[in-house]
Amino acid sequence: MDNPAIQGLITIIVGVGGCIGYFYFSNQILDKVIFPARGENAGRNINRANMVRPWLFLFPAIFALGLYLGYPVFETLRLSLTDRVPGGYEWAGLSNYSQMFSEPKFWEAIRNNMLWLIIVPAVSTGFGLLAAQLTDRISWGNVAKSLIFMPMAISLVGASVIFKLIYDARPADTAQIGVMNAVWMQFEGGIGSILFLQLLPSLILLCFATFVAYFGYVFLRPMWQRDGGHSAALLPLRILVAVAAVLLVWECASSALGLWTASFPYGEPQQWLTIPFWNSFLLMVVLIWIQTGFAMVILSAALRGIPEETVEAAIVDGANPFQIFFKIKVPQIIGTIVVVWTTITLTVLKVFDIVFAMTNGQWETQVLANYMYDKLFRANDWGVGSASAIIIMLMVMPILVWNVYNVRKEMR
Amino acid sequence: MFPAPIEKRSDAAQAMYKSFLPIALFLWLAPLIAVAIFSIKPDADFTTGNYWGLPSTFEGAANYGKVFFESDMPRYLWNSVLITVPTVIGAVALSCMTGFALGVYRFKGNLLIFFMFVAGNFVPFQILMVPVRDLTEQIGLYNTKMGLVLFHVAFQTGFCTLFMRNFIRALPFELIEAARVEGIAEWRIFWYVVLPLMKPAIAALSVLIFTFIWNDYFWAVVLTQGPESQPVTAGITSFNAQYRAAFHLMSAGAIVAALPPVAMFFAMQKHFIAGLTLGAVK
Repeated sequence: MDNPAIQGLITIIVGVGGCIGYFYFSNQILDKVIFPARGENAGRNINRANMVRPWLFLFPAIFALGLYLGYPVFETLRLSLTDRVPGGYEWAGLSNYSQMFSEPKFWEAIRNNMLWLIIVPAVSTGFGLLAAQLTDRISWGNVAKSLIFMPMAISLVGASVIFKLIYDARPADTAQIGVMNAVWMQFEGGIGSILFLQLLPSLILLCFATFVAYFGYVFLRPMWQRDGGHSAALLPLRILVAVAAVLLVWECASSALGLWTASFPYGEPQQWLTIPFWNSFLLMVVLIWIQTGFAMVILSAALRGIPEETVEAAIVDGANPFQIFFKIKVPQIIGTIVVVWTTITLTVLKVFDIVFAMTNGQWETQVLANYMYDKLFRANDWGVGSASAIIIMLMVMPILVWNVYNVRKEMR
Repeated sequence: MFPAPIEKRSDAAQAMYKSFLPIALFLWLAPLIAVAIFSIKPDADFTTGNYWGLPSTFEGAANYGKVFFESDMPRYLWNSVLITVPTVIGAVALSCMTGFALGVYRFKGNLLIFFMFVAGNFVPFQILMVPVRDLTEQIGLYNTKMGLVLFHVAFQTGFCTLFMRNFIRALPFELIEAARVEGIAEWRIFWYVVLPLMKPAIAALSVLIFTFIWNDYFWAVVLTQGPESQPVTAGITSFNAQYRAAFHLMSAGAIVAALPPVAMFFAMQKHFIAGLTLGAVK
């Protein structure tokens, strides 16, 4: 035990000492040796030294980021356009991409990523907002918040291990260790089963469909309002949203219908993670469980920042709690909601640990990040793996550009 | 608070509200509670099917003892410490400097570099995998803690710099100007004026980075292998492979692996939340 401890300590001392030493000596050299503030050029030298100084502070970070971030991005781009042949690389053009596009696994990953992108940020932000609002005004609200937030401190792998246990299945005649199956075995097809397995999910699906339809309607409305002052630039976006909304509503409606026509295998423990399509949702639960705490913390800070007068005025005007929440509070924190939403979206795009640890992309749960890992380390196909990494990068790009644009706007 | 306090609502509404929250909270934490109970059960409970009842005997000491003394868990934990602590110190030290440079000086390229840091913050880390792995292999640091530390420091510096720069920007600039008028050298201004003011930011950032790095799994499996150098996130998966059917041990292992960041979170909750809020609302 001693040896690594001392090693670690030495690493820390060398690292910190190096940092301080670099910082101290580079400044000293700049001030005393290169541009000394004396002699005939004292004034000019001071100015020059001050022009160079920021770069002294910046150099280590820029060097590190260039080496570990800048260079790898371009290297991956290059790898995606080449094939590895014995003894070197061979220019391959876009063949890696076309090979990837012809693989059903890739499209499965894209489809699942889209599902994750729609559902996880929406549900996490929604739950977070709900939790922030509900715990805001009770005496033990802060304790509740800490507890809701706690999963955030657990690693995704740790959480996956825990949830794997929940979805576990045992042979039919033994007691079930997985919570899901323990609950599932209680259903026998009676009135309770109809209530909980058919009526309730259908209602939730229909509520969700209504919400999506309303959202699409709000988005499309300006198109037939002449005075709405809509810009042509947004037209493709509006159409995209409308198409997505219609598709989602259709999916929800058909799933709700499917619930009534399907026959459930009562009394048989299910391997939940092997049921295609629905297993993706079970994986999403893990991320939602973790990200809700994050959304709640940020949103509750924002809710606290709302001026009391606006809420008071609404109450005086006779608004009910729902109106206060949706029409007074939410519009005032919409900026924060968007920030939380994008942050979670970014996390979702990179999601890897959960799928890797729970299903490893089997049973149609593949996502892009795990697909890439598969290609690189299992299939040893670096070209296609890099190509899929570039696809992830392309998907992040709009968020990146939008954020830089926003920061710039704030600065002006 | 102005909107009618909960006490003034009808009894039924109150009762519903008051019972709804604890129930929801219980469901929310049920996975953790279940694992905690599993971890103190004896092996016999799992063979007889007593999963959900109370443990027939308390075997917490034995289970955790096994995790600590008969597995590689302590090594993984220790690796995690050796990876996380230097990373936190390195990243924070570096970003104090860069944050200072970007926040205080006006020079050509300041904004450009700042935008580069913003952009770098959004680069999906998977895209770096192959080149970083090759790079680490070439430097001869593959499968060492050092390799992981170096990469983490470099990668986290982007986020930390943004964080520090925004914090320094919010400090009263007059302090720095006053010091300059007094003719104090720039490095002394940084060391004696700005750095002491940055203590809250340093605390918040340290806690945040600690959890990020402790919970990292991706780079742990990409850059290291085996109990020699892997941190506990990677260790827990091999631990589980070792004790495939022993749920009580798996649960104890999961709890041990998750405990440090959770403890850190509860001890430094204020800083953690301050860090998240500062970091998210840029």
